[in-house]
Amino acid sequence: MIDQFSLLFAAALLSLVFHRSWFLKPFTLMAFGGAFYLSMQGSSVGLAGFVFNESFKVFELVLEVVLFAYILHDDEDISITQTLFLGASSLLLLQAQTLLSFIIAFESLSLISVVMVSFIKTKAQAEGAVKMFIAGSLATGILFLGLVSYVMGGGVLLAPLSSDGSFFMNVGVFVMLAALFYKLTIVPFHSWAIDTYALVRHNHAGLLSGVAKSVAALAIFHIFSPFLAQHLSLSVPLLATLAVVSMTLGNTLALFSKNIAKILAYSSIVHAGYILVAFVAVKSSMADEGILYMAIAYIFMQSGAFLSLDILQKNYAIKTLEDIQGLSKYSPALAFLFTLQLFSLAGIPLLAGFLAKAVVFYAGVDAGLWWLVLIALLNSALSVAYYAWIIKSIYFDEGKAQEKLVSTPLAMVAQLILAVGTVWFGVYAGSVF
Amino acid sequence: MSAVEFVFVPLVLALVLALFFRGDSSVSKYTSLVLFGFMLSFSVGLFEQLPSEGYLDLGTYLSVSAFGFELSLQVDMLSSIMLVLTSLLLILVALSSWSMKNQALYYALLIFFSGAIFGVFMSTNFLWFFIFWELTLVPMYFLVGVWGAEKRIYAAVKFFLYTHVASMFILLAFFLIYKEAGTFDMTLVKESMLLSPVLIWWLLFVGFAVKMPIFPFHTWLPDAHVQAPAPISVLLAGVLLKMGAYAMIRMVILLLPETSHQFAWVILSAGLVSFFYAAFMALQETHLKKMVAYSSISHMGLVVIAISTMSYAGLSAALFEMIGHAFVIAPLFLIAGFFHHKTGSWQMGDMGGIMQRAPYLSAIFVLAGLGALGLPGTMGFVGELSVLLSAMKAHGMWVVVVALGSMLGAGYIIWTLRRVIYGEMSEVVAKTSFKMNIFEFFSLVVFALFIILFGIFPSILFEYINPAFAQFSSLGGAL
Repeated sequence: MIDQFSLLFAAALLSLVFHRSWFLKPFTLMAFGGAFYLSMQGSSVGLAGFVFNESFKVFELVLEVVLFAYILHDDEDISITQTLFLGASSLLLLQAQTLLSFIIAFESLSLISVVMVSFIKTKAQAEGAVKMFIAGSLATGILFLGLVSYVMGGGVLLAPLSSDGSFFMNVGVFVMLAALFYKLTIVPFHSWAIDTYALVRHNHAGLLSGVAKSVAALAIFHIFSPFLAQHLSLSVPLLATLAVVSMTLGNTLALFSKNIAKILAYSSIVHAGYILVAFVAVKSSMADEGILYMAIAYIFMQSGAFLSLDILQKNYAIKTLEDIQGLSKYSPALAFLFTLQLFSLAGIPLLAGFLAKAVVFYAGVDAGLWWLVLIALLNSALSVAYYAWIIKSIYFDEGKAQEKLVSTPLAMVAQLILAVGTVWFGVYAGSVF
Repeated sequence: MSAVEFVFVPLVLALVLALFFRGDSSVSKYTSLVLFGFMLSFSVGLFEQLPSEGYLDLGTYLSVSAFGFELSLQVDMLSSIMLVLTSLLLILVALSSWSMKNQALYYALLIFFSGAIFGVFMSTNFLWFFIFWELTLVPMYFLVGVWGAEKRIYAAVKFFLYTHVASMFILLAFFLIYKEAGTFDMTLVKESMLLSPVLIWWLLFVGFAVKMPIFPFHTWLPDAHVQAPAPISVLLAGVLLKMGAYAMIRMVILLLPETSHQFAWVILSAGLVSFFYAAFMALQETHLKKMVAYSSISHMGLVVIAISTMSYAGLSAALFEMIGHAFVIAPLFLIAGFFHHKTGSWQMGDMGGIMQRAPYLSAIFVLAGLGALGLPGTMGFVGELSVLLSAMKAHGMWVVVVALGSMLGAGYIIWTLRRVIYGEMSEVVAKTSFKMNIFEFFSLVVFALFIILFGIFPSILFEYINPAFAQFSSLGGAL
């Protein structure tokens, strides 16, 4: 029987045939519909080292819905094909069980991300793409360095990650984590991300920071959490420091930014910090649920925010806080949808972002780290400052009405899907637990 | 409609109304009045169903047992009183905003607020309580930011940030409670279950102190009060601050009685400082609405003093003073806002002799002012007296200094009346016509009637208030 990865992979190859034809979009949407059905059935990739993970089922479904929205939004053939590849490798990564399968899937996800941002039309996009390429290659190198150390210490590639406590093995795992944190944009491995997220096209930034990051965070947690739980005395101080620095630095920099895409990029670093709280709180039984919830919420709200920004840029050439002034007057629907996702990112209740933070932070309290949670909570409150400032520009400031440059009805449908997701997971927590 | 519908129907209704009606369409206005009317009759109806002790169960929804996260709606006497007060104020606020510009959106936001606030007073699950608690910020942010005065943006953002930061302490306290007691249900948590009650107490106290607000956490309020449109100031003073006081009573005093007893001196001194500090600030203020705002903080200081007694008499007095504060401060805010709207100035110096131009309005302003200074025969007197008596009983005779504070109150109120209502008619006032919308005037009359009614017959209210704190009844009742 065919599985969701093979289906999307085959669809991606086949989609090349349909370029420049009206049939491409319906075809891709059907492929994601099929993948959704297969995930419902719980079908698993037919390769050694990959197993369908029951606790990730809801995330797989969410991922397919979100990518469906991305396809609706997208209007470039090449980008649609890349989204299919990205979906395929994401599903692969989510089902990886052994270290080798994890690394293969992870690298294929990185590879497709690099290919995606290499779609360059302006100089700025080139800068973003090159930065990501260099950082990505470096991270891959470090990852393999850690892998070598791990294998030297007696680690087995064809088994889940575990350590018998030998020095080389432990060092290897931490070096690998450092490389993986490049992808999660944890400070101090973050500096490439701001330029990349802010400079590449917004829908690609959404795929990178919203989709790929959520998938990677879940998969890394799945593979590494047993190891971290065994080495709490080392992992807690180390990761807690990184979490605090990521949140605080990201927030502070975001406060001084005028470019909306940059604010979202910094906010992505801040969220990486929140995600790391779950890694620190690994001994709590709620940490699993926490990171799952965070991934689900984040994939909806970050995609929603970046895709809104993409529409705003296409329709009204909006880039900065100044451009967006008075948006509520001439485009109330878009203003509302964008505000909704921003409120969710800020952690305002009845939206997914709040419950995700609540579960992750509770895991922190449960693990006895209430001081870390206090810092995270205060950071979360501080972050409201810049989200509220964007919303202030949208609703309170007077701006001159803008002419609509293009109309994008399908993209609005995509926005609606993402908004429903954000609200749904903000109210019905039962669908995750 | 069932209880849960009173929470979620307004939230959805507000979105639908905001989506389909724009500008000055009055559909949302009438919808809001009908809805608030239903809310009032629902809340009043609760009194008949309440058991003599404990909670009335209104249903449990959206249960997630793995995280103790469920929307359990339960009310007791205390929350029912808050619900009645809130829905009554909502109706009066809706009436007094009758000629607001951009009505469709304004009333949609009011409706949204009503759903959130009902959630606050009805949910007994800590996490859902917190959700609604935070949700009230969203409509308030827009109501202050869009309809406010010149510095509205600064005030709105400050209000949002300041109170949001404070809420984070509350959320952390709830998490600690869940970790230590194993439940988010506030009706089941007992102080003896907690391992770190002192930490939790301080987190909750600071969190709620910001909302009430208690000195030194009050700085967001003067800005928000002054910049908000007058009806929203009423909502802030009458509902939002009451939310803080309600939470302080329910989650600090009633939930953690032993630790509260240990730190009663903290609550008392915070209350005394707020009371005197705000009174002095009001005394030196020449900005009419700022004077009212400081007088509002000063009265909340009285509520804090009453809470600090932790006695049957004291808590009843606190609740009475809370209600009295809402009815007394509301007309002051509304009329101050109206004067500003007409004269274009906030300075008392620019006004004067308004009595000759607008006698009815001035009469209500004077009546509310006398209520604020605690003249016998008004609600203010009963509130201040019962607070003073209970505090003296609990903390000793020296608390009689509170009476001195009331004299300060008399000072700033009478001086304000002298400068604004009586005295020489100023040029600005002479040129201005003080014609008021009939609905807005009607709401003022209702406030005035309540001030007198409960001033002369306080027992009508105490009949409902006293049973709210029945568990303290062994300690002796109020009045």
